[in-house]
Amino acid sequence: MRDPITSALSSKYGIIVLLGMTVLFAFIFVPEFGTVNNLTNIAIQSAPLAILAIGQTVVIIAGLIDLSVGMLLGLIVVIIADLMQGQSSMTAFAILVALGLGGGVGMINGLLNNLLRIHPLILTFGMLSILQGLIFVYTDRSVGQVSPEFSWMANGTIFGVPFSIILLIFVATFVSFLLYRTRLGAHIFAVGGGEEQARRAGILTGRVKVWAFIFSGLSAGVAGMLVAGRLGTGYPNAGVGYELDAIVAVVLGGTSLAGGRGSILGTIAAVFVLGVASNILNLMEISSFVQILVKGLIVVIAILLNQPKRIVAS
Amino acid sequence: MLLEIKGLTKRFPGVLALEGVDFTAEAGEVHALVGANGAGKSTLMNLLSGVFRPTEGEILIDNRPVQLSSPGVAVSCGVSTVYQEFSSIPQLTVAQNIFLGREPCGKSGILSHKKMRSDARAILDKYNLDLDETSLVETLSVANLQLVEIARALSVDSRILILDEPTAVLSLPEQENLFRIIESLKQQGMLILYVSHRMEEIFSISDRVTVLRDGRKIDTVQTADISPQDIIRMMIGHDIDQSKGLKANSAGDTILEVSFKDRRRGFKVLEGEILGVAGLVGAGRTRLARKLIGLEADEDMDVILHGDKIDPKSPGHAIQHGIVYLTENRKYDGLFANLSVLKNTTASALERFSSYGFLQQKNERQAGTEILDRLHLVASSVDAPISDLSGGNQQKAIFGRALLCNPRVLICDEPTRGVDVGAKEEIYQLLLGLAEQGVAIIFISSEMKELFAAAHRLLVLHEGEIVEDLPTDQLTEEKVLQAATGTAA
Repeated sequence: MRDPITSALSSKYGIIVLLGMTVLFAFIFVPEFGTVNNLTNIAIQSAPLAILAIGQTVVIIAGLIDLSVGMLLGLIVVIIADLMQGQSSMTAFAILVALGLGGGVGMINGLLNNLLRIHPLILTFGMLSILQGLIFVYTDRSVGQVSPEFSWMANGTIFGVPFSIILLIFVATFVSFLLYRTRLGAHIFAVGGGEEQARRAGILTGRVKVWAFIFSGLSAGVAGMLVAGRLGTGYPNAGVGYELDAIVAVVLGGTSLAGGRGSILGTIAAVFVLGVASNILNLMEISSFVQILVKGLIVVIAILLNQPKRIVAS
Repeated sequence: MLLEIKGLTKRFPGVLALEGVDFTAEAGEVHALVGANGAGKSTLMNLLSGVFRPTEGEILIDNRPVQLSSPGVAVSCGVSTVYQEFSSIPQLTVAQNIFLGREPCGKSGILSHKKMRSDARAILDKYNLDLDETSLVETLSVANLQLVEIARALSVDSRILILDEPTAVLSLPEQENLFRIIESLKQQGMLILYVSHRMEEIFSISDRVTVLRDGRKIDTVQTADISPQDIIRMMIGHDIDQSKGLKANSAGDTILEVSFKDRRRGFKVLEGEILGVAGLVGAGRTRLARKLIGLEADEDMDVILHGDKIDPKSPGHAIQHGIVYLTENRKYDGLFANLSVLKNTTASALERFSSYGFLQQKNERQAGTEILDRLHLVASSVDAPISDLSGGNQQKAIFGRALLCNPRVLICDEPTRGVDVGAKEEIYQLLLGLAEQGVAIIFISSEMKELFAAAHRLLVLHEGEIVEDLPTDQLTEEKVLQAATGTAA
């Protein structure tokens, strides 16, 4: 027999239970955790990754993967900071550029994926390198400065709620609606579940995949705006590692890497599990090297709990 | 004329799959399409359903030429297909699969899950399909999967329904249910193109039969005017006699003995013996085979091979002992779909072609080619992907794989499923030849006729246990059925 905690953790909503337990632990054992200031901090720090991971959830449900988003985010940070040079008048234009660049690169990923028929892992890794090259051709040091509006987007609050969290809720609602309540969303699940079957059912699978990549690219655009706002300047290494963190969060959140099933809520919960855990370790003044190790352990344990069948069978 | 095909030709690299086929079919008829493996049935079907595009020729629906350039276009032209390998998406529900690609939307363009469920329910009710529209397809049985496919085809108001070997996976009541559905569709004026190997069902439901051979059309005839023998003759170009001299005399020592510590009955197989295993679907025939090769555990089972007790832990381990299993479901756990014919054939015997861990490709190729020649496998090349081959030839490749392991006990699970009469005959001859060389063969089959024709002795299973074990000549089909259904006196 398994105890109730283990079975709750290995259920469909295991990651949400895990988040609840982590937060509970933090409230009880880490006094500084519950302060408004600290909670706001966690939210602000987690929002960009959560938004990026939502886009990644869409591509993974479609049976694809997108490694290029980290560097895409980095390129967007550098370009919009350089564009704005601290002027408020450039804010609207910078938002357009961020979304256009994100969606555009996503679309290129999608079109190349259909045209070249290379595995998306390789294709988007190639795109990752190209984008990284572009960043460093553009600049090898921090450039530009974001407008005050951008700083506010990343750090400001409305009635005490961080704006970035409002943005996250908006993105999550929009993408959930898209996935569960539109034909395109249904087709994204179908293509991920079985591409040939979907094709035979008359679904234009190529088009569906292009859309999935566009959403991933757009999520990099939105996340990039928040990262730029937090950094204040165009730091060329801003996006390094984001793609893997996003993929880890997606998988932790219960989305199948094989495609065809997944959950936006799970992805967001997973991002916050990682965010809260790293916050607790910070507050406990544990070294950042140990933090990396703990993050790895969380990932492995959570994934094991998410596979109840295998554990029971052995 | 609902459907007319003129001079349809399909050429693949190196193979002429279909050559100048003319063909007509009317609304309100069940038109059977028969032919041996590689005769061009699948190609013709794929051309009609928009999976392939013709090299030459045209297709007319209602006397108007149509370009069936994709499966979606074919569906909108009224042609729906129920494929043999199922095309449902496992992670989705029954309702989502029925409306795949045509999900109902409200006025605002928002998906209506409620409407999808109720529409699915309506279709399932209308055609008497016993399914829950909310279940996930991955939880369904194979028979129910097929019902999902049929429900999908029916949901688009198609006028032409193509069924590819629809009964291959169905039990008898499920089959009768399907025939009832086909009959009512025919009454509603639908054209049903029925692809099948099974003579009995062709004669029980079709109005006309078109026979294909080697990519050409041989003839279209009224089913009522012809006999099964005539059709088989047209399919293979000469006569065969299924019952003639199939069995050799069995002799030899006990090679494999299975006994149980609990009260279950055990059995023995002799060298050179073909031991048939009969039973209904779910009687535990495949399980027994899986236990023998270590895929399932049974602590109460003892396996004695040549007088030594063995305990196979895995199929690889069983192969080392000379016990080789040929799966009943080659698509699911038999084939490496992405590998070539040669690689599929040599997969279990690579150790033989290796020295110091390095694969000797020349030896591998030579042995593989030799065995495939012996089995009369037809392929454009042994390096062609296995998925390009017809069912019968795929089965031969898997047979080749088993033979390369030098089996002493060969367990064949439904080896003739989904292969045509000509290839069936070859498989029987092959089993017989192996038995003559002293191999013990455990032959699991649902076809009573072939068990009686090929096996020396029969085991009958009922609810996981052996209930009968007698030489074939002391049994009748009736007796076997009684034992298998648990109604024996």
